[in-house]
Amino acid sequence: MSVVSFNMTFEVLDISGDIGIKASGKTCEEAFVNAGMGMYSLITDIGKIKDEKRMEIEVKADSPESLLVRYLNELIFQFDAYGFIGRGIKILDLRLMISNLKTEISNQQSSIKLKVFGEEFDSDRHEQGLLVKAATYHNIKIEKRNDECIIEVIFDI
Amino acid sequence: MSLEKLKRIDENRLEVPKDYKEGMRTNGIIYVDSILEKELESGSIEQVANVATLPGIVGASMAMPDVHTGYGFPIGGVAAFDLKEGIISPGGVGYDINCGVRLLRSNLKKSFVLLRIKELIDVLYNNIPSGVGSKGKIRLGPDDEEKVLLKGARWAVDKGFGDASDLERIESGGCMDGADPSIISSKAYERGRAQQGTLGSGNHFLEVQYVDEIYDEKTANALGLFKDHITVMIHTGSRGFGHQVCTDFLEVMSRAVRKYGIVLPDRELACAPFNSSEAKDYFASMKAAANYAWANRQCLMHWTREVFMSVFKIPPSELGLTLIYDVAHNIAKIEEHIVNGQKKKLVVHRKGSTRAFPPGHPELPAVYKNLGQPVLIPGDMGRASFVLIGTEKAMKETFGSTCHGAGRVMSRHQAIRQAKGRAIWREMEDMGIIVRAAGRETLAEEMSEAYKDISNVVDVVHNAGISKKVAKLKPIGVIKG
Repeated sequence: MSVVSFNMTFEVLDISGDIGIKASGKTCEEAFVNAGMGMYSLITDIGKIKDEKRMEIEVKADSPESLLVRYLNELIFQFDAYGFIGRGIKILDLRLMISNLKTEISNQQSSIKLKVFGEEFDSDRHEQGLLVKAATYHNIKIEKRNDECIIEVIFDI
Repeated sequence: MSLEKLKRIDENRLEVPKDYKEGMRTNGIIYVDSILEKELESGSIEQVANVATLPGIVGASMAMPDVHTGYGFPIGGVAAFDLKEGIISPGGVGYDINCGVRLLRSNLKKSFVLLRIKELIDVLYNNIPSGVGSKGKIRLGPDDEEKVLLKGARWAVDKGFGDASDLERIESGGCMDGADPSIISSKAYERGRAQQGTLGSGNHFLEVQYVDEIYDEKTANALGLFKDHITVMIHTGSRGFGHQVCTDFLEVMSRAVRKYGIVLPDRELACAPFNSSEAKDYFASMKAAANYAWANRQCLMHWTREVFMSVFKIPPSELGLTLIYDVAHNIAKIEEHIVNGQKKKLVVHRKGSTRAFPPGHPELPAVYKNLGQPVLIPGDMGRASFVLIGTEKAMKETFGSTCHGAGRVMSRHQAIRQAKGRAIWREMEDMGIIVRAAGRETLAEEMSEAYKDISNVVDVVHNAGISKKVAKLKPIGVIKG
């Protein structure tokens, strides 16, 4: 299997203390990929990450925003606990449901299944950027327009 | 716009009136003078007001002079809640549970250490694991990790990192009772396994400093601080372990908010009634993370002592590199305070705020019973840090709390832009400060100009009387992640 190539579209959001990412794509799948890759690029120069290991991740949540936070926190967890960092992400399945607060509270409706291509971080070979500790709900945004999906998320550094 | 609604109480305090925002149960009080008022963000004021809407809040929703906008609660925030009517909130503690500071004093003079400062900083940098993706020297097996969570700094001492006499010079003796390792998620265990005994990154640091100025000689000398003597300050927290606990419980709490019908102006204030099972679980997990952090700072201190001994070839008794105190500045605690003339137990949240208990307080260790609690305020890497002492006025006004640091004025990117084309390490070296950092842009992000002037922050808490200045410390060597 070859590494998926994609157009990385994201910009860094400037806020005092921490840092955010604005990621976009023609579809929400693309925007989710770009948000993940944008986050990785805060941690290191992802151009230097090799495609040596693959990891499949599946996350569910009760709202699109919560799904985004859980997905990014899962990537952070894999990096912080095991040093695994990606040079590419492929979304296998993405379901975003608008949450309805009146329904059952444990009803998990949104879900994402993805594959990350990368390797174990090595501080001798890889550049040390920001230590991203968590994705937050602070000013979080997922906007779906006609031909564009825009995501904004802020990280605790 | 929002500033116009505030009322000045006195030189050091602004009031956020109860009618500032719908739903406020109490007023807000922000400790700023006319200088720091100019740097007050509207987001911070909004957050002080939001905290005032939370159920069971006792007294005012407060912010210290180093306030800036955080997630849900402002950084620099202090809020106390009733144990029956009130709540506990992970957002009121912060992601880095028990982020804190410890300070060591020594018998060494600045002039002596300056002769070998580069070597000292290099050896410290090689022996103190720091930076993104760095691996610690300790690997915790499941049993050991549970012991860390239960025993805190005492675990480290049992393992040979430091002495039993260190423990009484740590807030809460370096261990909060009631931590429950069985509630902790496997993810938190996994993140914590290799991060015990690591400094981390961002604003965390280890600094070699000297006593530059003394404001209160009697107190300074009682703490072992003398002009031109060397001190070491360590600023770090519970690392990935604490972050995972916070992440896990933000989800638990957002469900609890719906379950208990709590109305919130901002979802990052997610909380649960203090007597609920969700709150009990969070508090027991928060204590575990706090203990992880105290063990962490204990290990780092032990290696620092070893490095000093090996570089200067001096026995411990001559070196006198002993712990003054260790404070937590991201934590929630049950404490007794006087409310309307009555003694009352409250759960006090300090998020970017330091405890500042007065002389005679029952929670102080014997060594500081007559002196009051040492308050340790780290500044940015180029200017200074401060030692203060707790006061009776803090007990009356701020639930025994004061500021915690400088607070940023520039975003990380602004700082990087301003530092473009400059060699920050050389600028620092020209100022007489040797710096080592692992991260590609850590020094740019952490440069002095990116922070408020710590002197202004400390002056406000000193003038307001919620802690008193004892000594100013200046860096000569800095290790960053």
